[in-house]
Amino acid sequence: MAFAAVFLPRAARSASPDRRLALAGAAFAAPAALLLLTILLAPLVVLLLLSLTDYRLGAVAVRWVGLANYAEMFSDPVFRRAIRNTFLYVAFVLPAGVFGALAVAALVHARTRTRSVYEVIYFLPVTSTLVAMATVWQFLLHPTLGPVTPLLASLGFGRLDLLNDPDLALVTLAVIGVWQMLGFNMVLFLAGLSAIPRDLYEAAALDGAAGAIDRFLRVTWPMLGPTTMFVTITTTISAFKVFDTVVVLTRGGPLGATDTLLYVLYLEGFHYFRTGYAAAMTVIVLAFLCALSLLQARLIERRVHYA
Amino acid sequence: MRWRALLAWALSHLMLATGAVLMLAPFVWMLLTSIRPAEEVFGAVFNPIPSRFAGVENYAQALFASNVPRAMVNGAVVCLGILAVQLATALPAAYALARLPFPGRGMLFGLVLFGLTIPIQVPALPLYLALAETGLLDTFFALMFPFFLTVFGLFLFRQFFRTYPEEILQAARLDGMGEFEIVWRLAVPAALPAIGAFSVFSVVAHWNDLYWPLIVVTSTERATPPLGILAFRDAETGGNYGALMAGATLITAPLVVAFLVARRGFVRGLTMTGLK
Amino acid sequence: MLTRKDFLLGTAAAAGALAAPAVRAQAAVTLDVLHAYPSFARFFTPVAEEFMKANPGIRVSFRQILPNYDELHQALLRGALTNQLPDVAFSGFNRLPELARTLSARNQILALDTLIAGEGASWAAENFSPRMLALGKVDGRQYGMPFNASSPIAYYNPELVARAGGDPDRFPDSWEGVIALGAAIKRAVPQAMGVSYYINSFDSDWLWQALVQQGGGRMLSADGKSVAFGGEAGLAAVRLARRFVTECGMQLIGADQNRQQFATGGTGIIFDSPARLAVITNLVGGRFPLRTAPFPITDKVNGGVPTGGNAAVIMASDPAKRRAAWEYVKFSAGPLAQKIAVEMTGYLPVNLKALAPEFLGRFYEQNPNARSAALQMDRSLPWEDYGANGPRIHRVQQEILTAIMRGDLTPEAGLARMVRETEALMRTA
Repeated sequence: MAFAAVFLPRAARSASPDRRLALAGAAFAAPAALLLLTILLAPLVVLLLLSLTDYRLGAVAVRWVGLANYAEMFSDPVFRRAIRNTFLYVAFVLPAGVFGALAVAALVHARTRTRSVYEVIYFLPVTSTLVAMATVWQFLLHPTLGPVTPLLASLGFGRLDLLNDPDLALVTLAVIGVWQMLGFNMVLFLAGLSAIPRDLYEAAALDGAAGAIDRFLRVTWPMLGPTTMFVTITTTISAFKVFDTVVVLTRGGPLGATDTLLYVLYLEGFHYFRTGYAAAMTVIVLAFLCALSLLQARLIERRVHYA
Repeated sequence: MRWRALLAWALSHLMLATGAVLMLAPFVWMLLTSIRPAEEVFGAVFNPIPSRFAGVENYAQALFASNVPRAMVNGAVVCLGILAVQLATALPAAYALARLPFPGRGMLFGLVLFGLTIPIQVPALPLYLALAETGLLDTFFALMFPFFLTVFGLFLFRQFFRTYPEEILQAARLDGMGEFEIVWRLAVPAALPAIGAFSVFSVVAHWNDLYWPLIVVTSTERATPPLGILAFRDAETGGNYGALMAGATLITAPLVVAFLVARRGFVRGLTMTGLK
Repeated sequence: MLTRKDFLLGTAAAAGALAAPAVRAQAAVTLDVLHAYPSFARFFTPVAEEFMKANPGIRVSFRQILPNYDELHQALLRGALTNQLPDVAFSGFNRLPELARTLSARNQILALDTLIAGEGASWAAENFSPRMLALGKVDGRQYGMPFNASSPIAYYNPELVARAGGDPDRFPDSWEGVIALGAAIKRAVPQAMGVSYYINSFDSDWLWQALVQQGGGRMLSADGKSVAFGGEAGLAAVRLARRFVTECGMQLIGADQNRQQFATGGTGIIFDSPARLAVITNLVGGRFPLRTAPFPITDKVNGGVPTGGNAAVIMASDPAKRRAAWEYVKFSAGPLAQKIAVEMTGYLPVNLKALAPEFLGRFYEQNPNARSAALQMDRSLPWEDYGANGPRIHRVQQEILTAIMRGDLTPEAGLARMVRETEALMRTA
């Protein structure tokens, strides 16, 4: 039936037009719906069930353990430090990634002839393959062979080992994270800046706003409010998912200083093959992400109301 | 007053240029190392310019004696395979979600919105188990399958199709066009800018993805670009860092070049990830 | 549907088999063989080709290669339940005990002792060192025949050794000697690392086990059920680890970074797998004349080095296939197959006869750095396995070792903690 509704010319069909459209719609949506079912929904159900078992990949026997995996997780020092490190990472990346990008965007926006040059340069890391660039960073940060340590030493920082010192490794990864996403946020801010009507600045000048900083505080910052919200949320979500640099550069070390949620999840699920436990961890990660997304939806809704 | 403007101008350029140097430094280092002879690769801190040009041997090793070219071909196959299925399934479904009343439409759209929050890491475990059970690990299918579904594409194209003029659809129906024809001959051509932007987003995401390939791929025959560079870096397979950087350059180049060539479209495509 | 021709052929074959019950008479036996690591095909294939050339009646066919020893192990355990076992599999040494115990309880694995005895009284002694053969033994029976084996060796920079007043031709054979040499290098070239023993970033616990085993210690009790490194040998090992930092100027950096630094002449001595010889030689380039040496052993009686690699096990149940499988396994552990595998990998040969000039002798003359691995044949000890929680245990141990090396924990406190946490993880496996 659906096939006929979709593929046969109108004259060959007899059903009512509404019914025909409904059949066509169902037929069009069917493949995507099927994918949604097999790739998203079914795995979610399986995941929830797995999280209540002690299943290990390849194991012959499985037991229901109720909420034991969840209980273990919250007393597991590795999981706890992964949460702490992930939030610390977000706390480093967020201000630098948002305000840094805003500053760059404001400066770039004011340029005329060189604007596109700066845009290209700052956006370049976004387009690069992070894994490939991470091997370059590993190289740059080598404490005795790379150029960064002597450079920082000549600036009076002492000889720092940025990847192998437990106190510095997470910050170093955060700096690389900011390096990668700065240009992306900059572009979002540039779009926001271009949307501010020029006459607002003129009106502010009439109101007595003098100087760049005053103009920024009175006009630019309030007008960029929605963009800033949006950038903040997207930066938070992508920082929350930090994984590539951890795998390539530190593997969670030294002393667990760079264990992050997704990395520990990867270890448990695909390295230790503790499938049940990893499933429970995934459920918690999903809960975090859902909370962040709800927040995002709320804020976008509010933006729509005020705009 | 004039000197103040000049000072502001100089200061802003100074800040931007300093930032630009930091942004570019890794790329410059990568390019310089990729043409550096092996004996100079380390200890090059104080003489960054290579004493002799060794680009030919380094790139030759990356191209002919490493897995990098195969990883790039695999990357292209995987990205295009994913994109083809994504477009083939998402475009008609998005059109249906936007314009055709069918039972379950509201629920489907609700699921799409829900799906927007879920990254690959969430269904990864069950999908891995299913692929392991069916003996499909380490295949192109395993690399592509989870990404055949694109809730982001469904959402994006639905928003686009909602703006498509109803009168044109009605006129087409009166002319006897079936819905299938309407989708592929009217709606899709009109959506080409959105499709282009989505394609950029999709290809960039899957060319660079590390998490999923790291899980399902074990053989070098199926390595994607990030795995190719990791295997090349692993000291078991190669020890020449000049060649490694040549490989990193080759793997980074396609997207960077695409960006430089089609800057506007590229940025538009990527910034849509902000929606995700 | 049998034709007359089939019938005749069948009768003839049966008659032939009765008349001469040798392998040769068994027309075309096909062996179903499973091994791990796709890159290993580069020597598994030529070895199988040589074998088929020498044994025209037997065909070797490889199953889909599995990514690593763990997945191979899981596949075999599943195959045992569903009766899908291959005829021959190459099991990782560290997985062999569990495999043999599980399969022998189900009568699905062949103990090789009678077959070895059948080769003649002196065959085993002429071909294998007792320590090497013991790697394939589980609970006193020979279930596996070693095929690939590798144990850590020392790589050193003779120029730095000479500058420190050491003799580049005589690498120390004790750890006190290594520490003294490393400290001397550090004094002579203050910006260099004297010794790098990078158990803080190595990707397995192999190097850490080596430090315990060379002093006569073991990681686990004989039954594999409890931790055994909490005693003197373990304490000596963690003390050494700390001294590399305090006396030899070792910095705690990443594994790749360590190899890079050694290659640029910034480190006197590092310890690594012999399989990395080609890579490290490549990295060093022409900077200095790279040298290698066997791993120093403190306890000359009980000490040894953990040996990674794999052993062939026979799972075929059909007698003809079993005979063919034994021929294949014997060939793989023989001098010609070892020559092929060793030249490609840098591993150590499992067979004593492989050292003869017509096999590896000439290769070692031309590549003296490759010989260090072969000198460790009779020092081989098992690479001990903690069971299902092994990878987690390694990660926990590595962190504690790093803390000890940094000086955050004393060797005594660190070792006690390592024992405690390892035992806890073994219990929950």
